[in-house]
Amino acid sequence: MNTGVIISGLGHGLLILWLLFGGWFSRPEEAEFTTTEVSILSETEFLALTAPARAPSIVNEAPDVPAPNTELAALPPVPSDARPTPAPQPDQPTPPNPEDEPDVSRLTPAPPKEVADDLPDLPIPPAPEESANLIPDIGAPRPVARVAPTPSPAPTPELDRAPEVSKAPKPSEDAAEQLPEDKDAAPEEAAPEIVTEAEVTQKQGTAPASSIRPTARPARVAARPEPKPEQKPAPAPEPVSPPRDALADALAEALSGSGDAPTGPPLTFGERDALRVAVSRCWNVGSASTEALQTTVVVGVEMTPDGKPVQGSLRLISHSGGSEASARQMFEFARRAILRCGASGFDLPKEKYGRWRDIEMTFNPEKMRIR
Amino acid sequence: MLRTVLLALALASPFTVPTAFAQDGPLRIEIDEGVIEPLPFAAPTFIAETPRAAALAEEITRIVAADLAGTGLFREIPMAAHIGRITSFDSPVQYADWRAINAQALVTGAVNTDGTNITVKFRLFDVFSNAPLGDGLQFGGTTASLRRVAHKVADQVYSRITGEGGYFDSRVVYVAESGPKNARQKRLAVMDYDGANTSYLTDAASIVLAPRFSPAGDRVLYTSYETGFPRIYALNLNQMTRRALDDQPGTMTFAPRFAPDGNTVVFSLSQGGNTDIYSLNLANGSRQRLTSGASIDTAPSFSPDGRFIVYESDQSGSQQLYIMPAGGGEGRRISFGKGRYGTPVWSPRGDQIAFTKQYQGRFHIGVMRTDGSEERLLTASFLDEGPTWSPNGRVIMFTRETAGAGGAPALYSVDITGRNLRRVSTVGAGSDPAWSPLLP
Repeated sequence: MNTGVIISGLGHGLLILWLLFGGWFSRPEEAEFTTTEVSILSETEFLALTAPARAPSIVNEAPDVPAPNTELAALPPVPSDARPTPAPQPDQPTPPNPEDEPDVSRLTPAPPKEVADDLPDLPIPPAPEESANLIPDIGAPRPVARVAPTPSPAPTPELDRAPEVSKAPKPSEDAAEQLPEDKDAAPEEAAPEIVTEAEVTQKQGTAPASSIRPTARPARVAARPEPKPEQKPAPAPEPVSPPRDALADALAEALSGSGDAPTGPPLTFGERDALRVAVSRCWNVGSASTEALQTTVVVGVEMTPDGKPVQGSLRLISHSGGSEASARQMFEFARRAILRCGASGFDLPKEKYGRWRDIEMTFNPEKMRIR
Repeated sequence: MLRTVLLALALASPFTVPTAFAQDGPLRIEIDEGVIEPLPFAAPTFIAETPRAAALAEEITRIVAADLAGTGLFREIPMAAHIGRITSFDSPVQYADWRAINAQALVTGAVNTDGTNITVKFRLFDVFSNAPLGDGLQFGGTTASLRRVAHKVADQVYSRITGEGGYFDSRVVYVAESGPKNARQKRLAVMDYDGANTSYLTDAASIVLAPRFSPAGDRVLYTSYETGFPRIYALNLNQMTRRALDDQPGTMTFAPRFAPDGNTVVFSLSQGGNTDIYSLNLANGSRQRLTSGASIDTAPSFSPDGRFIVYESDQSGSQQLYIMPAGGGEGRRISFGKGRYGTPVWSPRGDQIAFTKQYQGRFHIGVMRTDGSEERLLTASFLDEGPTWSPNGRVIMFTRETAGAGGAPALYSVDITGRNLRRVSTVGAGSDPAWSPLLP
């Protein structure tokens, strides 16, 4: 009987102990969770995302790349050869578009449509500064910059690649016939464009870059009236001003403070108290009338960077508790105090000049009254 | 628990402190404590525009400086400490020289005389503001009125700095006393506020008490015992003529005082052992009783607007202060402190009442607001009594008598702050002062 009880007791005891402390000796395996944000895109949206990458680049290029176009025009066959690389991606729309010079001309009109689809509210394409600051990863604009300057010098580096590309044509047999004629020029063009397209497609695949835009921009659009963005796309200079309203100004205020004066953190209690004590020492109301001692005045003063009051800046801002005459009198006492003790400069932190350049001092004689 | 609270405070502090110091716009600070000390000023000797004016310029400068320093509100910087020199009344002031000696105000002036008349012009400068304080002014008079001219200059300086009217160009009438205590001779005397130019209005043949100036300063009311009983007289200072007021047999009249209009006199009339307050129209001689009852009501004093009268009465069993309408009526007690209150005098500003208080064998001069609040005792001695206000309501003059057989009364003045208690210079002993209004 006892044995059974003992066994049962031990068993239960062990069970309880295990429940209580079992977890201490075995580290629970923490399931690793990897989260990825997924956005659902329709086919049109996906196309729109892929296209816009080109769009901006071409938009910007268009004006700058007339010369290369002529060269490209002279080399129609190359683009067809270059396609094989994008070919693995079963893009149906792409095959009909290329092959001819019209590529460029077609692309130029395309961007507006695509941009309109993706970001109907955003005439932002002209705003290079913002995009650069906010979304440094965006691949779309960069190829533009690269392509624009490179086109002219491009021929030489591409010449190196040309042979490689020319070797590649393996798949296309028809092209072999034309290759011998345009070897030099054809590969040159193909190389830069292919690279940019590849990068664009890859970056488009990393969607996050494009997903960041919508979050930031809606806020700006909301901040401004809607009509503005419509008008802005037409004039080129706008891109500079609008972003500053929203960002630059806010950042400027937060970082630089007021104007050109250095503004550090707000004055500490000790710094403010030191100023208060300094002025108090010279605030002599011994000769003030009893009525004047009923009057509180607020005096404004502008300070020089070396902590001295600007004499002409002293002004009576407001008063309470007395007549105009007594306020005037108390202002004189206050002014005398500020000028007298500030003659050699108040001990104020120069690095915070912006904080104390303008001071409003309230002189409250309540404690100084006759009681 | 305590640890939790401390932790919470520690965590909260970094967030609350910046909030407290958050600054939006100009830096704002509040100064609620200052210093109370005499304002240092410099008064270099006024320029003598003619050789014969040199002595006058010197004297006038000294009077002006003494007036200002005598208030206790200003402190003169000795001439020996002056760095700057005023060589011409119109030459620009070198403020730096005066700042160097910490002179906050600078008084410059020039004196001219033809032997009979004098002209004095002056300027006041706020040294630390590098600017004049008001425009320059010029006063003229005879050489005999030199002191008055100097007082006028001092009044202007005082007024411009303090913001309230001056009181230097004023006179004081008082009872000049002489002789031993048991055979004291009393005469009415009048002098400048500073004790100069004393002259006597009555002889020593009879005892006189409680002189009071009229609002215009051209007449004096006083009480005389020349008939053996106290009787009120009015003395015209211009014509030096006098007349008895309300001369009725079997009565005693005393403690007179003018109403603000100068046409009515209030006084105490004692008849049959009862003392009440009456008013007398000086134009038609009509008399009106203002108080009634068995109590002793006396020492009436009008408010500056003439609507009320403050007086002392023992109707509650002890001597206290009451206020009643000028036309008479029920008095409202305003003094409730310990001790006895008497000789109330309404301030020219109308906001305070000065009084004599007797408590535990000592006398005090004090002030209280017209509702009896904020009572402050300014002095304490063996015997202080009979306060009178300066024209600007800033200073109180009173009588202080020393104890003992050789004790004698003297005039003292004190600022209503309780500071600057000083004896007023008089020719001999003096008591019962009454301050005149500012002279025209």
